[in-house]
Amino acid sequence: MAGVVTKQQERTGDVRLGRIGKGVRVLVALAGIGLLINGSVRASDDAWPFGPMSQYAGMIADDASITYTRITARTDAGTTVDVPLNIEGAGVARAEIEARTGEIVKDPSLLQAVADGWARKHPDKPKYVKLELIRDTTTLVDGRVVGDPVPEVLATWRVRR
Amino acid sequence: MSAATPTSTSAPEISRGQRVANWFTPKIALARIAWLRTILYLFVILDMHAFVRDTRLKGEHPGLYQPLFLARLFELPKPSVANTTTLYVVLIVFCLIGAANRMPRLAGWIVAPAFTWWVLIGMSDGKVDHDHLALVVALWVLPTVAPGTKHGTKGCTFQWRREVSPYADQTRSEAAGWAIRCVQISVIATYFLSAVAKLRGAGWTLGWPGSAILTWAIVRRPHPVGEWLLQYPWMLHTMQWAGIIGEFCSPVILWLKGRWQLLGALFFIGFHVANTAILMIHFLPTVVCWLAFAPLERIVPWFQRRRSVRRQAKGRSDRDAGEPEDQAEDSRQAKEQAGA
Repeated sequence: MAGVVTKQQERTGDVRLGRIGKGVRVLVALAGIGLLINGSVRASDDAWPFGPMSQYAGMIADDASITYTRITARTDAGTTVDVPLNIEGAGVARAEIEARTGEIVKDPSLLQAVADGWARKHPDKPKYVKLELIRDTTTLVDGRVVGDPVPEVLATWRVRR
Repeated sequence: MSAATPTSTSAPEISRGQRVANWFTPKIALARIAWLRTILYLFVILDMHAFVRDTRLKGEHPGLYQPLFLARLFELPKPSVANTTTLYVVLIVFCLIGAANRMPRLAGWIVAPAFTWWVLIGMSDGKVDHDHLALVVALWVLPTVAPGTKHGTKGCTFQWRREVSPYADQTRSEAAGWAIRCVQISVIATYFLSAVAKLRGAGWTLGWPGSAILTWAIVRRPHPVGEWLLQYPWMLHTMQWAGIIGEFCSPVILWLKGRWQLLGALFFIGFHVANTAILMIHFLPTVVCWLAFAPLERIVPWFQRRRSVRRQAKGRSDRDAGEPEDQAEDSRQAKEQAGA
Protein backbone atom coordinates (compact mmCIF):
# COMPACT_ATOMS: atom_id res chain seq x y z
CA MET A 1 0.00 0.00 0.00
CA ALA A 2 2.82 2.37 0.93
CA GLY A 3 4.43 1.71 -2.42
CA VAL A 4 1.79 3.56 -4.41
CA VAL A 5 2.09 6.68 -2.27
CA THR A 6 3.59 9.62 -4.06
CA LYS A 7 4.74 12.39 -1.81
CA GLN A 8 5.69 15.94 -2.44
CA GLN A 9 7.39 18.43 -0.22
CA GLU A 10 5.46 21.55 0.62
CA ARG A 11 7.10 24.86 1.29
CA THR A 12 6.40 24.43 4.99
CA GLY A 13 8.18 21.06 5.01
CA ASP A 14 4.89 19.18 5.48
CA VAL A 15 4.81 15.82 3.78
CA ARG A 16 1.55 15.39 1.92
CA LEU A 17 0.05 12.27 0.45
CA GLY A 18 -0.57 11.85 -3.24
CA ARG A 19 -4.10 11.39 -4.55
CA ILE A 20 -3.82 7.62 -4.70
CA GLY A 21 -2.11 7.30 -1.34
CA LYS A 22 -4.77 9.40 0.30
CA GLY A 23 -7.64 7.73 -1.52
CA VAL A 24 -6.47 4.23 -0.63
CA ARG A 25 -6.00 5.20 3.02
CA VAL A 26 -9.46 6.75 3.28
CA LEU A 27 -11.01 3.67 1.67
CA VAL A 28 -9.14 1.34 4.02
CA ALA A 29 -10.33 3.35 7.02
CA LEU A 30 -13.94 3.35 5.79
CA ALA A 31 -13.79 -0.39 5.06
CA GLY A 32 -12.47 -1.00 8.57
CA ILE A 33 -15.28 1.04 10.09
CA GLY A 34 -17.77 -0.87 7.94
CA LEU A 35 -16.38 -4.23 9.11
CA LEU A 36 -16.57 -3.11 12.74
CA ILE A 37 -20.18 -1.98 12.44
CA ASN A 38 -21.11 -5.18 10.62
CA GLY A 39 -19.43 -7.18 13.40
CA SER A 40 -21.25 -5.34 16.15
CA VAL A 41 -24.64 -5.61 14.51
CA ARG A 42 -24.55 -9.18 13.20
CA ALA A 43 -21.38 -11.14 13.93
CA SER A 44 -20.19 -13.13 16.94
CA ASP A 45 -16.89 -13.35 18.81
CA ASP A 46 -15.70 -15.65 16.05
CA ALA A 47 -15.11 -12.57 13.85
CA TRP A 48 -12.36 -11.18 16.12
CA PRO A 49 -11.05 -8.48 15.81
CA PHE A 50 -14.18 -7.35 13.98
CA GLY A 51 -16.64 -9.05 16.31
CA PRO A 52 -19.06 -7.36 18.73
CA MET A 53 -17.73 -5.80 21.94
CA SER A 54 -19.98 -8.08 23.92
CA GLN A 55 -18.11 -8.39 27.21
CA TYR A 56 -20.66 -7.69 29.96
CA ALA A 57 -23.20 -6.65 27.35
CA GLY A 58 -25.78 -9.23 28.41
CA MET A 59 -29.04 -8.61 30.28
CA ILE A 60 -29.39 -10.10 33.75
CA ALA A 61 -32.90 -10.12 35.19
CA ASP A 62 -33.60 -9.00 38.76
CA ASP A 63 -34.49 -12.55 39.75
CA ALA A 64 -31.69 -14.28 37.88
CA SER A 65 -29.74 -17.26 39.18
CA ILE A 66 -26.04 -16.58 38.92
CA THR A 67 -23.85 -19.64 38.58
CA TYR A 68 -20.19 -19.90 39.29
CA THR A 69 -18.19 -23.03 38.58
CA ARG A 70 -15.21 -24.06 40.64
CA ILE A 71 -13.18 -27.14 41.46
CA THR A 72 -12.19 -28.21 44.95
CA ALA A 73 -9.52 -30.76 45.72
CA ARG A 74 -8.71 -33.10 48.58
CA THR A 75 -4.91 -33.28 48.83
CA ASP A 76 -2.61 -36.04 49.99
CA ALA A 77 -1.85 -33.80 52.98
CA GLY A 78 -5.46 -34.25 54.07
CA THR A 79 -6.54 -30.68 53.32
CA THR A 80 -9.36 -29.45 51.08
CA VAL A 81 -8.45 -26.57 48.77
CA ASP A 82 -9.94 -24.51 45.94
CA VAL A 83 -8.11 -25.33 42.72
CA PRO A 84 -6.66 -22.13 41.23
CA LEU A 85 -8.20 -22.13 37.76
CA ASN A 86 -5.65 -20.06 35.87
CA ILE A 87 -2.49 -20.59 33.92
CA GLU A 88 -0.14 -20.44 36.89
CA GLY A 89 -2.36 -22.66 39.03
CA ALA A 90 -3.60 -25.79 37.33
CA GLY A 91 -2.77 -24.57 33.82
CA VAL A 92 -6.42 -24.30 32.80
CA ALA A 93 -8.67 -21.23 32.91
CA ARG A 94 -12.07 -21.09 34.57
CA ALA A 95 -13.65 -20.05 31.27
CA GLU A 96 -12.41 -23.28 29.70
CA ILE A 97 -13.84 -25.38 32.55
CA GLU A 98 -17.17 -23.52 32.30
CA ALA A 99 -17.27 -24.01 28.55
CA ARG A 100 -16.77 -27.78 28.98
CA THR A 101 -18.91 -28.41 32.09
CA GLY A 102 -21.29 -30.65 30.15
CA GLU A 103 -18.48 -32.84 28.85
CA ILE A 104 -16.90 -33.12 32.28
CA VAL A 105 -20.20 -34.19 33.86
CA LYS A 106 -20.49 -36.94 31.24
CA ASP A 107 -16.85 -37.96 31.55
CA PRO A 108 -15.31 -36.89 34.90
CA SER A 109 -11.95 -38.37 33.84
CA LEU A 110 -11.37 -35.08 32.00
CA LEU A 111 -10.59 -33.68 35.47
CA GLN A 112 -7.45 -35.80 35.52
CA ALA A 113 -5.82 -33.11 33.34
CA VAL A 114 -6.41 -30.57 36.12
CA ALA A 115 -4.62 -32.73 38.68
CA ASP A 116 -1.81 -33.47 36.23
CA GLY A 117 -1.46 -29.76 35.42
CA TRP A 118 -1.21 -28.89 39.10
CA ALA A 119 1.32 -31.65 39.83
CA ARG A 120 3.46 -30.62 36.87
CA LYS A 121 3.51 -26.96 37.80
CA HIS A 122 3.83 -27.42 41.55
CA PRO A 123 5.89 -30.58 42.12
CA ASP A 124 6.73 -29.56 45.70
CA LYS A 125 3.12 -28.93 46.81
CA PRO A 126 0.63 -31.55 48.10
CA LYS A 127 -0.89 -33.61 45.29
CA TYR A 128 -4.59 -33.71 44.54
CA VAL A 129 -6.19 -37.06 45.33
CA LYS A 130 -9.87 -36.26 44.72
CA LEU A 131 -11.45 -33.48 42.65
CA GLU A 132 -15.00 -32.15 42.76
CA LEU A 133 -16.54 -29.93 40.12
CA ILE A 134 -18.94 -27.65 41.98
CA ARG A 135 -21.49 -25.17 40.74
CA ASP A 136 -22.47 -22.38 43.15
CA THR A 137 -25.84 -20.81 42.49
CA THR A 138 -26.68 -17.37 43.85
CA THR A 139 -30.27 -16.29 43.39
CA LEU A 140 -31.19 -12.62 43.09
CA VAL A 141 -34.31 -11.18 44.68
CA ASP A 142 -35.26 -7.75 43.30
CA GLY A 143 -31.74 -7.40 41.95
CA ARG A 144 -30.15 -8.05 45.33
CA VAL A 145 -28.00 -10.91 46.49
CA VAL A 146 -29.93 -12.71 49.23
CA GLY A 147 -28.25 -15.44 51.22
CA ASP A 148 -25.21 -17.54 50.52
CA PRO A 149 -24.61 -19.38 47.25
CA VAL A 150 -25.95 -22.94 47.08
CA PRO A 151 -23.24 -25.42 46.06
CA GLU A 152 -24.00 -28.46 43.92
CA VAL A 153 -21.44 -31.17 43.14
CA LEU A 154 -21.59 -31.88 39.41
CA ALA A 155 -18.78 -34.40 39.08
CA THR A 156 -16.28 -36.23 41.27
CA TRP A 157 -13.01 -37.74 40.17
CA ARG A 158 -10.55 -39.87 42.12
CA VAL A 159 -7.16 -38.90 40.77
CA ARG A 160 -5.09 -41.64 39.12
CA ARG A 161 -1.46 -41.78 40.12
CA MET B 1 -22.44 16.32 -5.20
CA SER B 2 -20.33 19.29 -6.26
CA ALA B 3 -22.37 19.78 -9.43
CA ALA B 4 -25.31 20.88 -7.30
CA THR B 5 -23.37 23.89 -6.01
CA PRO B 6 -22.47 25.98 -9.04
CA THR B 7 -21.48 28.94 -6.88
CA SER B 8 -18.35 27.25 -5.56
CA THR B 9 -16.14 27.71 -8.57
CA SER B 10 -13.11 29.38 -7.00
CA ALA B 11 -9.96 27.23 -7.10
CA PRO B 12 -9.02 26.90 -3.40
CA GLU B 13 -12.52 25.77 -2.46
CA ILE B 14 -12.38 22.17 -1.25
CA SER B 15 -15.21 19.75 -1.82
CA ARG B 16 -16.95 17.83 0.94
CA GLY B 17 -15.20 14.66 -0.17
CA GLN B 18 -11.83 16.30 0.16
CA ARG B 19 -12.76 17.64 3.55
CA VAL B 20 -13.66 14.11 4.68
CA ALA B 21 -10.39 12.82 3.20
CA ASN B 22 -8.47 15.53 5.03
CA TRP B 23 -10.17 14.61 8.28
CA PHE B 24 -8.85 11.08 7.89
CA THR B 25 -5.35 12.38 7.08
CA PRO B 26 -4.52 15.30 9.39
CA LYS B 27 -0.94 16.56 9.34
CA ILE B 28 0.81 15.24 12.42
CA ALA B 29 4.51 15.36 13.30
CA LEU B 30 6.48 12.17 12.59
CA ALA B 31 7.84 12.33 16.13
CA ARG B 32 4.49 11.15 17.48
CA ILE B 33 4.76 8.00 15.36
CA ALA B 34 8.29 7.40 16.67
CA TRP B 35 7.13 7.65 20.28
CA LEU B 36 4.19 5.36 19.61
CA ARG B 37 6.49 2.82 17.96
CA THR B 38 8.67 2.70 21.04
CA ILE B 39 5.79 2.56 23.50
CA LEU B 40 3.57 0.12 21.63
CA TYR B 41 6.26 -2.34 20.54
CA LEU B 42 7.50 -2.50 24.13
CA PHE B 43 3.89 -2.87 25.26
CA VAL B 44 3.50 -5.87 22.95
CA ILE B 45 6.35 -7.59 24.79
CA LEU B 46 4.63 -6.82 28.10
CA ASP B 47 1.31 -8.02 26.70
CA MET B 48 2.82 -11.36 25.63
CA HIS B 49 3.91 -12.00 29.20
CA ALA B 50 1.14 -10.41 31.22
CA PHE B 51 -2.10 -10.50 29.23
CA VAL B 52 -2.25 -12.78 26.19
CA ARG B 53 0.29 -15.06 27.80
CA ASP B 54 -1.07 -18.55 27.22
CA THR B 55 -0.27 -18.76 23.50
CA ARG B 56 2.81 -20.93 24.01
CA LEU B 57 0.92 -23.06 26.52
CA LYS B 58 -1.71 -23.64 23.83
CA GLY B 59 1.12 -24.79 21.59
CA GLU B 60 1.94 -27.46 24.18
CA HIS B 61 -1.69 -28.52 24.73
CA PRO B 62 -3.69 -27.68 21.62
CA GLY B 63 -6.59 -29.91 22.78
CA LEU B 64 -8.99 -27.04 23.41
CA TYR B 65 -8.02 -25.09 20.28
CA GLN B 66 -11.06 -23.82 18.35
CA PRO B 67 -9.71 -21.66 15.51
CA LEU B 68 -11.42 -18.29 15.05
CA PHE B 69 -12.68 -17.12 11.66
CA LEU B 70 -9.44 -15.37 10.63
CA ALA B 71 -7.38 -18.45 11.50
CA ARG B 72 -9.69 -20.59 9.36
CA LEU B 73 -9.75 -18.04 6.53
CA PHE B 74 -5.96 -18.01 6.24
CA GLU B 75 -5.70 -21.71 7.10
CA LEU B 76 -3.25 -20.97 9.90
CA PRO B 77 -1.66 -24.12 11.28
CA LYS B 78 -2.76 -25.51 14.64
CA PRO B 79 -0.57 -24.14 17.44
CA SER B 80 2.42 -26.33 18.22
CA VAL B 81 5.50 -25.95 20.37
CA ALA B 82 7.54 -25.22 17.23
CA ASN B 83 5.35 -22.51 15.71
CA THR B 84 4.41 -20.74 18.95
CA THR B 85 8.05 -20.68 20.07
CA THR B 86 9.12 -19.27 16.69
CA LEU B 87 6.35 -16.68 16.93
CA TYR B 88 7.55 -15.74 20.40
CA VAL B 89 11.18 -15.28 19.36
CA VAL B 90 10.29 -13.37 16.18
CA LEU B 91 8.00 -11.04 18.12
CA ILE B 92 10.55 -10.29 20.83
CA VAL B 93 13.34 -9.59 18.31
CA PHE B 94 11.36 -7.40 15.94
CA CYS B 95 9.50 -5.58 18.72
CA LEU B 96 12.86 -4.56 20.15
CA ILE B 97 14.12 -3.43 16.73
CA GLY B 98 10.92 -1.52 16.04
CA ALA B 99 10.89 0.00 19.52
CA ALA B 100 14.36 1.39 18.82
CA ASN B 101 12.98 2.96 15.61
CA ARG B 102 15.51 0.98 13.57
CA MET B 103 14.15 -0.37 10.29
CA PRO B 104 10.74 0.54 11.70
CA ARG B 105 8.75 -0.40 8.62
CA LEU B 106 10.32 -3.81 8.15
CA ALA B 107 10.00 -4.56 11.88
CA GLY B 108 6.45 -3.26 11.84
CA TRP B 109 5.33 -5.39 8.91
CA ILE B 110 6.65 -8.45 10.73
CA VAL B 111 5.23 -7.61 14.16
CA ALA B 112 1.72 -6.80 12.86
CA PRO B 113 0.82 -10.23 11.42
CA ALA B 114 2.88 -12.08 14.03
CA PHE B 115 1.11 -10.43 16.97
CA THR B 116 -2.29 -10.77 15.32
CA TRP B 117 -1.64 -14.50 15.04
CA TRP B 118 -0.36 -14.60 18.63
CA VAL B 119 -3.60 -13.04 19.89
CA LEU B 120 -5.72 -15.19 17.59
CA ILE B 121 -4.24 -18.31 19.19
CA GLY B 122 -4.59 -16.82 22.67
CA MET B 123 -8.30 -16.23 22.12
CA SER B 124 -9.04 -19.56 20.48
CA ASP B 125 -10.36 -21.44 23.48
CA GLY B 126 -13.89 -20.12 23.54
CA LYS B 127 -13.14 -16.87 25.34
CA VAL B 128 -12.50 -13.68 23.35
CA ASP B 129 -11.43 -10.43 25.00
CA HIS B 130 -12.31 -7.10 23.50
CA ASP B 131 -9.43 -4.96 24.66
CA HIS B 132 -7.02 -5.60 21.77
CA LEU B 133 -8.71 -3.88 18.84
CA ALA B 134 -6.86 -0.56 19.03
CA LEU B 135 -3.48 -2.19 19.69
CA VAL B 136 -3.80 -4.58 16.77
CA VAL B 137 -4.94 -1.77 14.45
CA ALA B 138 -2.04 0.38 15.64
CA LEU B 139 0.44 -2.36 14.78
CA TRP B 140 -0.98 -2.63 11.26
CA VAL B 141 -0.95 1.11 10.53
CA LEU B 142 2.39 2.10 12.10
CA PRO B 143 4.52 0.51 9.34
CA THR B 144 2.64 2.47 6.65
CA VAL B 145 4.45 5.61 7.84
CA ALA B 146 7.90 6.26 6.39
CA PRO B 147 10.43 7.54 8.91
CA GLY B 148 12.03 10.92 8.23
CA THR B 149 15.40 11.18 6.51
CA LYS B 150 17.73 14.10 5.78
CA HIS B 151 16.07 14.54 2.42
CA GLY B 152 12.49 14.38 3.60
CA THR B 153 10.64 11.10 3.99
CA LYS B 154 11.94 8.54 1.54
CA GLY B 155 11.22 5.78 4.00
CA CYS B 156 13.79 3.15 3.16
CA THR B 157 12.51 -0.03 4.76
CA PHE B 158 15.88 -1.60 5.42
CA GLN B 159 17.70 1.38 6.81
CA TRP B 160 19.34 0.65 10.14
CA ARG B 161 20.87 4.10 10.64
CA ARG B 162 18.59 6.86 11.77
CA GLU B 163 19.51 10.03 9.87
CA VAL B 164 17.43 12.34 12.00
CA SER B 165 16.36 11.75 15.59
CA PRO B 166 12.93 10.23 15.09
CA TYR B 167 11.66 11.44 18.46
CA ALA B 168 12.40 15.07 17.61
CA ASP B 169 11.24 15.01 13.96
CA GLN B 170 8.70 17.82 13.68
CA THR B 171 8.03 17.16 9.98
CA ARG B 172 4.27 17.04 9.71
CA SER B 173 2.98 14.22 7.57
CA GLU B 174 -0.45 13.20 6.33
CA ALA B 175 0.63 9.56 6.33
CA ALA B 176 1.45 9.88 10.03
CA GLY B 177 -1.88 11.61 10.58
CA TRP B 178 -3.78 8.76 8.93
CA ALA B 179 -2.08 6.17 11.13
CA ILE B 180 -2.81 8.22 14.25
CA ARG B 181 -6.42 8.75 13.16
CA CYS B 182 -6.90 5.02 12.65
CA VAL B 183 -5.69 4.30 16.17
CA GLN B 184 -7.89 7.05 17.58
CA ILE B 185 -10.94 5.70 15.75
CA SER B 186 -10.22 2.18 17.02
CA VAL B 187 -9.93 3.40 20.61
CA ILE B 188 -13.24 5.22 20.35
CA ALA B 189 -14.86 2.33 18.47
CA THR B 190 -14.02 0.05 21.39
CA TYR B 191 -16.32 2.15 23.59
CA PHE B 192 -18.99 3.12 21.11
CA LEU B 193 -19.40 -0.43 19.85
CA SER B 194 -19.61 -1.67 23.45
CA ALA B 195 -22.70 0.48 23.79
CA VAL B 196 -24.05 -0.98 20.55
CA ALA B 197 -23.40 -4.50 21.87
CA LYS B 198 -25.33 -3.62 25.04
CA LEU B 199 -28.33 -2.55 22.99
CA ARG B 200 -28.08 -5.73 20.95
CA GLY B 201 -27.65 -7.85 24.09
CA ALA B 202 -30.93 -6.46 25.40
CA GLY B 203 -32.75 -7.26 22.14
CA TRP B 204 -32.17 -3.74 20.77
CA THR B 205 -33.77 -2.10 23.80
CA LEU B 206 -32.34 0.14 26.50
CA GLY B 207 -32.79 -2.56 29.14
CA TRP B 208 -29.11 -3.07 29.94
CA PRO B 209 -28.39 -0.16 32.32
CA GLY B 210 -31.29 -1.15 34.58
CA SER B 211 -30.39 -4.84 34.65
CA ALA B 212 -28.35 -6.69 37.26
CA ILE B 213 -25.32 -7.18 35.02
CA LEU B 214 -22.76 -5.66 37.41
CA THR B 215 -24.19 -7.68 40.30
CA TRP B 216 -23.77 -10.78 38.15
CA ALA B 217 -20.21 -9.79 37.25
CA ILE B 218 -19.22 -9.15 40.86
CA VAL B 219 -20.76 -12.40 42.13
CA ARG B 220 -18.72 -14.25 39.57
CA ARG B 221 -15.54 -12.27 40.26
CA PRO B 222 -15.65 -11.67 44.00
CA HIS B 223 -13.49 -8.79 45.13
CA PRO B 224 -13.64 -6.61 48.28
CA VAL B 225 -14.72 -3.36 46.60
CA GLY B 226 -17.27 -5.18 44.45
CA GLU B 227 -18.70 -7.16 47.34
CA TRP B 228 -19.24 -3.98 49.30
CA LEU B 229 -21.05 -2.46 46.32
CA LEU B 230 -23.36 -5.48 46.09
CA GLN B 231 -25.30 -4.06 49.03
CA TYR B 232 -26.19 -0.96 47.02
CA PRO B 233 -27.74 -1.99 43.69
CA TRP B 234 -28.70 1.63 42.95
CA MET B 235 -25.01 2.54 42.86
CA LEU B 236 -24.36 -0.24 40.39
CA HIS B 237 -27.25 0.95 38.22
CA THR B 238 -25.89 4.51 38.32
CA MET B 239 -22.53 3.20 37.15
CA GLN B 240 -24.19 1.25 34.36
CA TRP B 241 -26.01 4.38 33.17
CA ALA B 242 -22.83 6.47 33.37
CA GLY B 243 -20.97 3.78 31.48
CA ILE B 244 -23.40 3.37 28.61
CA ILE B 245 -23.99 7.12 28.20
CA GLY B 246 -20.24 7.73 28.19
CA GLU B 247 -19.73 4.98 25.64
CA PHE B 248 -22.44 6.37 23.39
CA CYS B 249 -21.00 9.88 23.53
CA SER B 250 -17.39 8.72 23.07
CA PRO B 251 -17.16 9.62 19.34
CA VAL B 252 -17.42 13.30 20.32
CA ILE B 253 -13.83 13.02 21.59
CA LEU B 254 -12.60 12.66 18.01
CA TRP B 255 -13.71 16.23 17.35
CA LEU B 256 -12.76 17.80 20.68
CA LYS B 257 -9.58 19.80 20.95
CA GLY B 258 -6.95 20.51 23.59
CA ARG B 259 -8.15 20.57 27.16
CA TRP B 260 -11.62 19.26 26.33
CA GLN B 261 -10.17 16.25 24.59
CA LEU B 262 -7.91 15.64 27.58
CA LEU B 263 -10.99 15.78 29.82
CA GLY B 264 -12.72 13.19 27.62
CA ALA B 265 -9.67 10.95 27.77
CA LEU B 266 -9.49 11.31 31.54
CA PHE B 267 -13.17 10.34 31.83
CA PHE B 268 -12.50 7.04 30.11
CA ILE B 269 -9.29 6.40 31.98
CA GLY B 270 -11.29 6.95 35.18
CA PHE B 271 -13.84 4.49 33.79
CA HIS B 272 -11.08 1.90 33.49
CA VAL B 273 -9.82 2.62 37.00
CA ALA B 274 -13.36 1.98 38.28
CA ASN B 275 -13.64 -1.20 36.23
CA THR B 276 -10.33 -2.39 37.58
CA ALA B 277 -11.43 -1.71 41.15
CA ILE B 278 -14.84 -3.38 40.77
CA LEU B 279 -14.23 -6.17 38.28
CA MET B 280 -10.44 -6.46 38.00
CA ILE B 281 -10.70 -5.76 34.27
CA HIS B 282 -7.98 -3.32 33.30
CA PHE B 283 -8.22 -2.96 29.49
CA LEU B 284 -4.60 -1.77 29.40
CA PRO B 285 -4.10 -2.67 25.71
CA THR B 286 -6.78 -0.10 24.90
CA VAL B 287 -5.65 2.39 27.53
CA VAL B 288 -2.11 2.55 26.14
CA CYS B 289 -3.53 3.46 22.72
CA TRP B 290 -5.08 6.63 24.19
CA LEU B 291 -1.54 7.97 23.73
CA ALA B 292 -2.40 8.41 20.04
CA PHE B 293 -4.36 11.46 21.19
CA ALA B 294 -1.42 12.89 23.15
CA PRO B 295 0.91 15.46 21.53
CA LEU B 296 3.94 13.25 22.12
CA GLU B 297 5.88 15.19 19.47
CA ARG B 298 6.19 18.03 21.96
CA ILE B 299 8.23 15.99 24.44
CA VAL B 300 11.65 16.62 22.87
CA PRO B 301 11.19 20.37 22.23
CA TRP B 302 9.85 20.77 25.75
CA PHE B 303 12.82 18.90 27.17
CA GLN B 304 15.28 20.89 25.04
CA ARG B 305 13.74 24.16 26.15
CA ARG B 306 14.00 23.16 29.77
CA ARG B 307 17.58 22.02 29.34
CA SER B 308 18.62 25.15 27.51
CA VAL B 309 17.07 27.35 30.18
CA ARG B 310 18.84 25.38 32.87
CA ARG B 311 22.17 25.43 30.99
CA GLN B 312 21.85 29.11 30.41
CA ALA B 313 21.34 29.69 34.11
CA LYS B 314 24.18 27.32 34.90
CA GLY B 315 26.43 28.87 32.26
CA ARG B 316 25.87 32.28 33.77
CA SER B 317 26.75 31.13 37.28
CA ASP B 318 29.72 29.10 35.97
CA ARG B 319 31.12 32.06 34.10
CA ASP B 320 30.81 34.06 37.27
CA ALA B 321 32.91 31.35 38.93
CA GLY B 322 35.51 31.47 36.13
CA GLU B 323 34.51 28.28 34.20
CA PRO B 324 35.63 27.80 30.58
CA GLU B 325 33.63 29.38 27.79
CA ASP B 326 32.54 26.22 25.90
CA GLN B 327 29.62 25.54 28.22
CA ALA B 328 28.06 28.83 27.30
CA GLU B 329 28.53 27.85 23.67
CA ASP B 330 26.72 24.56 24.38
CA SER B 331 23.74 26.29 25.85
CA ARG B 332 23.55 28.71 22.93
CA GLN B 333 23.44 25.74 20.54
CA ALA B 334 20.77 23.97 22.56
CA LYS B 335 18.69 27.10 22.54
CA GLU B 336 18.96 27.44 18.80
CA GLN B 337 17.85 23.80 18.37
CA ALA B 338 14.93 24.25 20.65
CA GLY B 339 13.83 27.24 18.66
CA ALA B 340 14.08 25.32 15.38
